[in-house]
Amino acid sequence: MFANPAVRAAGYAMMAVAIVLLSLATGNKFYIHLAQTLCYTTVAVIGLNVLLGLTGQMSLGQAAFYAIGAYGSALLSSRLGLPLFISMPAGVLFAGAAGFLVGLGALRTRGTYLAMATLAFGFIVEIAAQRWTDLTGGTMGIIGIPSLDFGSRKMGETYFLWVAAGVYLLVQILSDYLFSSRFYRILLAVKENESAARTAGFSVPVWRVVVFGMSAATAGIAGVFFTHQSAFINSDAFTLTLTLTLLIAAVIGGLGRSYGPLLGTAIALAIGEFIASLVDLSLLVYGSILLGVLLLFPEGAIGLGARLGQALTKRKSTGGKPVDAGPASTARLSTSRKPRGNGPVLQVAGLSKHYQGVKAVEDVTIDVMPGTIHAVIGPNGAGKSTLINCISGIYRPTKGRVYLHGQDITDLGAHRRARLGLSRSFQNLQLVPSLSVIENVMLGVAPAHSAISDFAHWMTSRAYEAEERARALALLAQFNLDAFADASPDDLPYGHRKLVEMARVLAEQPLVMLLDEPIAGLNDVEAREIAATVRRIREAGTTILLVEHNMEFVMQLSDRVTVLDYGTRIAEGSPAEIQRDPAVIAAYLGTPADAPETASAAP
Amino acid sequence: MSAANFLQLLLSGLTMGALYALTAKGLFVAHLATTRMNFGQGDFLMIAAYISTALLLAKVPVVVVVGVVLLCLAVLGWGLERIALRPLDRLKARAGEYSWVLTTMGVALILQNTATLVWGKSAQYSPPLFSASRQDVVRVLGVGVFVEELIVIVVGFLVVGLFYLFLFKTTAGRAVRVIAFNPDAATLLGIDVKRTISLVFVVAALLAGISGVLAGPIVTVQPHMGLVFTVKALAVAALGGFANPLGVLAGAIIFGIAESFANYFNSSFGDLYPLLIVLGLLIVRPTGLFGEARADVR
Repeated sequence: MFANPAVRAAGYAMMAVAIVLLSLATGNKFYIHLAQTLCYTTVAVIGLNVLLGLTGQMSLGQAAFYAIGAYGSALLSSRLGLPLFISMPAGVLFAGAAGFLVGLGALRTRGTYLAMATLAFGFIVEIAAQRWTDLTGGTMGIIGIPSLDFGSRKMGETYFLWVAAGVYLLVQILSDYLFSSRFYRILLAVKENESAARTAGFSVPVWRVVVFGMSAATAGIAGVFFTHQSAFINSDAFTLTLTLTLLIAAVIGGLGRSYGPLLGTAIALAIGEFIASLVDLSLLVYGSILLGVLLLFPEGAIGLGARLGQALTKRKSTGGKPVDAGPASTARLSTSRKPRGNGPVLQVAGLSKHYQGVKAVEDVTIDVMPGTIHAVIGPNGAGKSTLINCISGIYRPTKGRVYLHGQDITDLGAHRRARLGLSRSFQNLQLVPSLSVIENVMLGVAPAHSAISDFAHWMTSRAYEAEERARALALLAQFNLDAFADASPDDLPYGHRKLVEMARVLAEQPLVMLLDEPIAGLNDVEAREIAATVRRIREAGTTILLVEHNMEFVMQLSDRVTVLDYGTRIAEGSPAEIQRDPAVIAAYLGTPADAPETASAAP
Repeated sequence: MSAANFLQLLLSGLTMGALYALTAKGLFVAHLATTRMNFGQGDFLMIAAYISTALLLAKVPVVVVVGVVLLCLAVLGWGLERIALRPLDRLKARAGEYSWVLTTMGVALILQNTATLVWGKSAQYSPPLFSASRQDVVRVLGVGVFVEELIVIVVGFLVVGLFYLFLFKTTAGRAVRVIAFNPDAATLLGIDVKRTISLVFVVAALLAGISGVLAGPIVTVQPHMGLVFTVKALAVAALGGFANPLGVLAGAIIFGIAESFANYFNSSFGDLYPLLIVLGLLIVRPTGLFGEARADVR
């Protein structure tokens, strides 16, 4: 939340001290109990907030993971007599593992299907908890579960609170880190633009499953604490209503904001206490809250607060902080990945792509030499887009191989190819709308530190991610876009957005850059700007393979041209050779059947 | 298992299958036109079952009962779209992608609470619709079969047939399919998209209403019965494939019969097995048994 780590650390310390002092000062068991519930429930809501708010995955089965954690630890401690320091982490582990499996199973399903599958999973676990009485005791429940009280009757509940608060604080710190680090950018890309995430080298399924498993684990943490808070649990606690309560807390607080869960859970608990006196109307209240918040204040309490704050302060400071972009030179565009040897850096060998009999691409072979601009041209429907999709790993070819530096990459996914140095832009731009321009470019910048030292850096340094930011800004400066660094990509004109995407691709320091129709939809001035940029990128050492149907653009720019027609390669050579090639002329201007042979003689 | 048993299980499976088909059709048509649907579809069914039970107990003629229920449910479906779904479009990017799941569930919670307030928490039993008592039996191939079940099967599949007529033979049905294909193109063709979407949710609610009336005498009516129907209708729709109108029907029949036999062999957990199988199947075939093959986009 705060960029200054000292302020942030002070905030955490104050929270910890406040919990300890307040819990010692009050003798009121009710408040202690409420604070315990607030701490562990917030943990579950934090997980849900990341899942729904950052990756956009809807889970209606959080109660199931909560139940698995709760029963896991309850059974291990009461039946097997295991100590709590073993049974509690084990319960969390069970929940996380279950979440991982469900997430893995739901991988190929998307959106609505995930909501349905998790609803069904929650339903199954709820029924199993009710009916598998040998294991869970059903509605009669499990009695005699040891409490987490460290053997102290008098202070036990206070100690419980301290542990729960400690765990909450830890999870909150991790959440804060997540929200201010590159993981925020990755998860938003996974949510809003899978293509962008994949071409930036991130595996969408892996991130989905990991986040799903983690959110299940946080629900498990809450379940485990719930179990040992009272000495009794039964199946009534783990219904869909619990899932909805957690969702309500996440939504009320404000989805996609790091402190939404704490605020939301506090409000939800307060409402819970309030409706305890009018039990008969509880569902009515919950339902109305869901409708009211989602329809009237979709940003939740935090978003509402921020709006009010903005209205009051009338935004005094304007613009971003000036950052030194460094000298503008082609050096900034250069790639650290240099091609080895003199052979082709990218080889497409006998590649075919068929769609149920339609041969979109048939036996195409291309050798892209290092340090060149290689263009693939062809009339509409020639198979250019299919080809580039097969090369970049979006489609799987029916036949043929793709080699990068002699390494067979045909079976690798797009994100693996990106990491090996094969990055692409898209004809229909792929940017992440919720990220600023510079954050979109930073998506491609490799982290300057390892995972652990990045976290340490965030904890201690004021200049967190300064290197990554500076590199992204330098790239933007190359495109004269540094003034728009903090703008939303949606606010930029189309031509500028194309450049932003190119900057992101360049940020990955690719060995070969694939450009899919780079000047489609641009005016002449913008097209010339792109041409100049592409030339500079090549001069800085990056090989470029581009697909385009604008002849003039291709002929001026390219070192070598491959021509496709009806999916097959009809010519390859230098621009001058291509311009003279009769087959190419026929493909572009019509076949001799349309015009008599004699009339087509060139002057 | 005797042949008589087999036939009885088959018929009660078909009965539930008909109810699931009706409920799932409502989800299907809403999903077809809007890619959204009512996560409280089962609660709509619950409300229909309560209204019908109350009226039948008051000795209101069946025809009137059906009319009143359909009227009430049409209003509910129209209101759902107006209150819980359409306002989300106005929020544009401010609304989360899956807010509709939660808003429709919010309405479901309100309906559950309302049912509890009006009719109490305890389970109720609807009088039979078509026969003198719930236990009326006819002989089919020498086997005793509940009359109610037979009629539910006939009426259920008849209504599904009417639904197909609506979807494929009427102008409004064609409009729904055009919107499913492309809402912008539908506007250009002069289709009133907003009104058609309203209509879609009314149709979805009517289908829930009919299954509610039919379900009343067969299952116990209580405020929280909706979730089971929602979950199973979703499972059926997913099994059949959301893109395939006949798939939903086939999915419902398979699911209902599988459930009936699973219950026979394991009375405590039998009803969970079909659900688990559907979940497992979705892992292997995410588009369902009869869904179109997904494009090879990785």
